[in-house]
Amino acid sequence: MIRTMTTAVNTMNQLQSNLDIIGNNLSNINTHGYKNNQASFQEMLYQQFNNDKADTAQRQSPEGIRYGVGAMLSQTQMNWKVGALQVTDRNLDFALTEPKQYFNIIKQGADGPETVYTRQGNFYLSPGTGNQVSLVDGEGNAVSDRAGNAIQFTGPVDQFELKPDGTLVAASANGNEQTAELAVTVIERPNLMTRLSSTHFTLPENMEEMNITETDILTELTGANTAEIGIQQGALEGSNVDYQKEMTDLINVQRSYQFNSRTVSIADQMLGLINNIR
Amino acid sequence: MFRGFYTAGSGMIAQQRRTELLANNMANANTPGFKTDQSSIRSFPEMYLSNLETTKVPVQNGFQMKGLSPIGPISTGTYMQETLPLFTQGQLRETELTTDLALVDGALPVDRETNQPGAIFYTLEGSNGQRAYTKSGNFALNPEGYLTSAAGNYVLDETGERIQLPSDDFQVTKKGVIQYGDFEVATLGISFAARPGTLEKRDNGLFYAQTDLPDANGIQGVNYSVQQGFIEQSNVDASRTMTDMMTAYRAFEANQKVLQAYDRSMEKAVSEIGRVNG
Repeated sequence: MIRTMTTAVNTMNQLQSNLDIIGNNLSNINTHGYKNNQASFQEMLYQQFNNDKADTAQRQSPEGIRYGVGAMLSQTQMNWKVGALQVTDRNLDFALTEPKQYFNIIKQGADGPETVYTRQGNFYLSPGTGNQVSLVDGEGNAVSDRAGNAIQFTGPVDQFELKPDGTLVAASANGNEQTAELAVTVIERPNLMTRLSSTHFTLPENMEEMNITETDILTELTGANTAEIGIQQGALEGSNVDYQKEMTDLINVQRSYQFNSRTVSIADQMLGLINNIR
Repeated sequence: MFRGFYTAGSGMIAQQRRTELLANNMANANTPGFKTDQSSIRSFPEMYLSNLETTKVPVQNGFQMKGLSPIGPISTGTYMQETLPLFTQGQLRETELTTDLALVDGALPVDRETNQPGAIFYTLEGSNGQRAYTKSGNFALNPEGYLTSAAGNYVLDETGERIQLPSDDFQVTKKGVIQYGDFEVATLGISFAARPGTLEKRDNGLFYAQTDLPDANGIQGVNYSVQQGFIEQSNVDASRTMTDMMTAYRAFEANQKVLQAYDRSMEKAVSEIGRVNG
């Protein structure tokens, strides 16, 4: 059978997936702390066809002819470069200015609370029991301190000051000060993490299979290492999606899709010709 | 029998092969490091036709002389003899990813016999531990920290060892030296093929050689540079591929028309010459 058609259709499916990825990047262009994803292609299997053994014509390449059956997505990689900072002047907005550093959020999972990681630093206060208030993220999940506990203050608190080492000082109107240490974790290899949402990450479930441990991926910044923390109060990190680049990619992929669909129609016409021999 | 009947058939098969090959080129217009496959279509070995003649000599017993008078050579068809990749440099595209390393050709020595320049490749560990070669610099770190191709083949350094890195936060110099912080971890193994046409393209577009290719650094006149954060795009020219595809399609159609003409001649032979009743 004519392989032209299958080659083109295989590739069209994969181009569609690439369009999905580009679409997701574009839709998150205003999501704080979003990191763009890039997909790349690779060739599919190659097949060899042998020529007539009696063929003695001079040639450069090894015997036979070889060609592939299309292209497929090989990998998607996250670009961990820091996005542009947006100054908001809100004292519970925090931006991490060093790449690969992440806030820790305590999220209620199916098996109890678990730590997830994000660079989205717009935090809020949420009333708890009594006059306790807890620091939460945009989804209402508690922000974790360096001991792994939810950050809580005894209210009312109205002034917040962030120290360069990630210590948050909350002051009440009567002059009382409470401190909390924001947990900052370095994810050395963000591409290994599982994406929970566009901005939240968690450790992969198949770490044993991959023969790695938590310490291979994560480094908690505590003690003297807190000097490495790059954090800014009153600002948020914008997404690092490059609008122009994504649009260019979108057009390119769409045109490739068209080219491949032309290939399908040419193959169809060829099959028509074969049918019309008689 | 009509000699040209199978000639036209073989022409259709060859043109079909050609569209299959072009469809694969078109499919890989977005594959990093892909090298366009070119086809050469060749005529079947020629036959020599002669006319068998009988000359009557006007003597008493009717003496006959038999002889051959030459008519000329005739070709009996066509086939796709060879597929050869075109090893020209693809354009560079910035991706900002540290694991994207474009290998840029500098001046390369020209082979005296083929009059074509050689080609340089990254050295990978292919299937069965054999060396494989690729121009695609779209790499990744696997969970254990080894630098691999997108398909998971280990990238080898100049001594043929795998390259292990603590994270993707590394720098690569123009000469292909991988630095992590202030340390030099490894040097990327760059291989040189004086006659790239002799390489065989197999599994997922990797090139294989009969004997291992030499290191490019040991060869005089070989210049290259490695660009981190870039990929080399496919060198497929979409408009040219589409034009070629249309040409192949029309040639296929023309052969089909010839086939139909033969069929009509045969129909005449069957229904008119062979008619029994007036």
